[in-house]
Amino acid sequence: MEKKTPAKGKPSFEKALEELEKIAEKLEDGSLGLEGSIAEFERGSRLARYCREKLDEAERRIEILQKGEDGTIEKRAVRVKPDTGEIDDDEDLQGSLL
Amino acid sequence: MEDHTYSVSEITRLLKKSIEGNPEFTSVWIKGELSNVTYHSSGHIYFTLKDEQAVLSSAFFKYANKGLSFRLEEGMSVLSLGSFTVYEKRGSYQFIVAQMRLEGIGELLKRIEQLKKKLLDEGALDPARKKVKPFLPRRLGVVTSPTGAAIRDIIKVAMRRFPNIEIVLAPAKVQGADAAVSIIRGIEELNRPVHSIDVIICGRGGGSFEDLLPFNEEAVVRSILASRVPVISAVGHQIDHPLSDDAADYAAPTPSAAAEIAVPMKSELTAEIDYLSIRAQTALSSRMAYLSNMLSGIAGLRCFRNPREIVTMRELSLVDLEQKMTSALKDRVAAGRQRLLALPDLYRLWRTETRGRRSRLDVAWGAVEKLSPRGVLRRGYSLATDTRGRIIKSVRTVKPGEAIGVALADGSMGCTVNTIQREVRGGKEDAGKGKTKL
Repeated sequence: MEKKTPAKGKPSFEKALEELEKIAEKLEDGSLGLEGSIAEFERGSRLARYCREKLDEAERRIEILQKGEDGTIEKRAVRVKPDTGEIDDDEDLQGSLL
Repeated sequence: MEDHTYSVSEITRLLKKSIEGNPEFTSVWIKGELSNVTYHSSGHIYFTLKDEQAVLSSAFFKYANKGLSFRLEEGMSVLSLGSFTVYEKRGSYQFIVAQMRLEGIGELLKRIEQLKKKLLDEGALDPARKKVKPFLPRRLGVVTSPTGAAIRDIIKVAMRRFPNIEIVLAPAKVQGADAAVSIIRGIEELNRPVHSIDVIICGRGGGSFEDLLPFNEEAVVRSILASRVPVISAVGHQIDHPLSDDAADYAAPTPSAAAEIAVPMKSELTAEIDYLSIRAQTALSSRMAYLSNMLSGIAGLRCFRNPREIVTMRELSLVDLEQKMTSALKDRVAAGRQRLLALPDLYRLWRTETRGRRSRLDVAWGAVEKLSPRGVLRRGYSLATDTRGRIIKSVRTVKPGEAIGVALADGSMGCTVNTIQREVRGGKEDAGKGKTKL
């Protein structure tokens, strides 16, 4: 199946990383002129920044779904220890969609 | 006592006592085929066990069937452990099941095989249909039991690999009668766009063959196939993998392994970005260093260091020339006079002298011209520098195959030395001498 790009106009993280690698290679083989090298380098810097931003985009959040009385599905937070990922309180891990 | 008559309830009570009190009828294993299976809303299951000659009405109460790992179906061959009771009001006896095991595992395996074949024939398991999960998922969906070890393992592994991952758990029953329905509900729920799930892990920890049956059920397999979000099947198993593995876009042998497939190592990605950035930086700065070396090689020429020198040199040579001309003229006049006095010896003497001076003058002019870099480069000469930007003044300092830079009036080239030919000492040496003499 075709891979969908996540956001309009923006490359996926993977694409951006591949592009960055190609730029590093191009700069290393010295085939670019001085102006070309500088332009590519700047593009590479932008891609690196973009990749780093992508990595920090998500916010740690563990949630459990729960079917409410009226049949709607709601989310509840599951508290975890940030360093180990262990569940703080087993009570948080309760719920059913049935 | 022969004439003693019993009332119906008396005799029934006796029967009840003798049946229920008889160890032979308590905790017995019975093998039979299921029929008339009824799942009652109270949670009890009623059915008859039968073989070729007899039927046995049976009940499997809620408290006992809670832990049952498969759904009872017509015709299933089962082994049941239980005891007998007599139901006085209806004058019937019943087998009360405490535990049940599947008898015909071979039969079940055959059914699973058949289902797999059906799916294959439909093309539902075609590798080309597999969806590709995003390399960097932001939100991970999990369909599994909220109470099992699987969800805990997944959270731990996912957070270790990617500390700021977002996880949404759709709590499901992973064994028992309503496991299939509950797993399907979870997959469907996580497919709703409102959750923005990038990849779903669906599974459970290891268990017996019966425990894993929901993951072999057609409805579950179909809901995995229908999922818009890529699914990683994660059912702990030793030998036979469940059909959910075939239907899913990715299959992992354990929930932890599924988390590893789903979530990349953030630290590795950060290191990769840093590494590539440094490579790009190093490449650019070494290129800049090379170019600037080359430039300073050219700029280092005396004429660039002290442009006034060119003017001074020219002025000097102009003065010099003037003097030479004047003296040449004087000489000529003198020589003419001499010639008049002593022909032909003096004439010859003068001629030799002048010719020598003239050629030296030309050479001096040339040297001055050469000092002008505009002149040198614009006239089509080029300036060769070594990799450290120093001007190559002698073929002895380069070797074939060496990379050199060549500066022209309008730019520079990177070149490689193919061959080297040493020039025999000649005119150039003379030029040098001429310049010094001036």
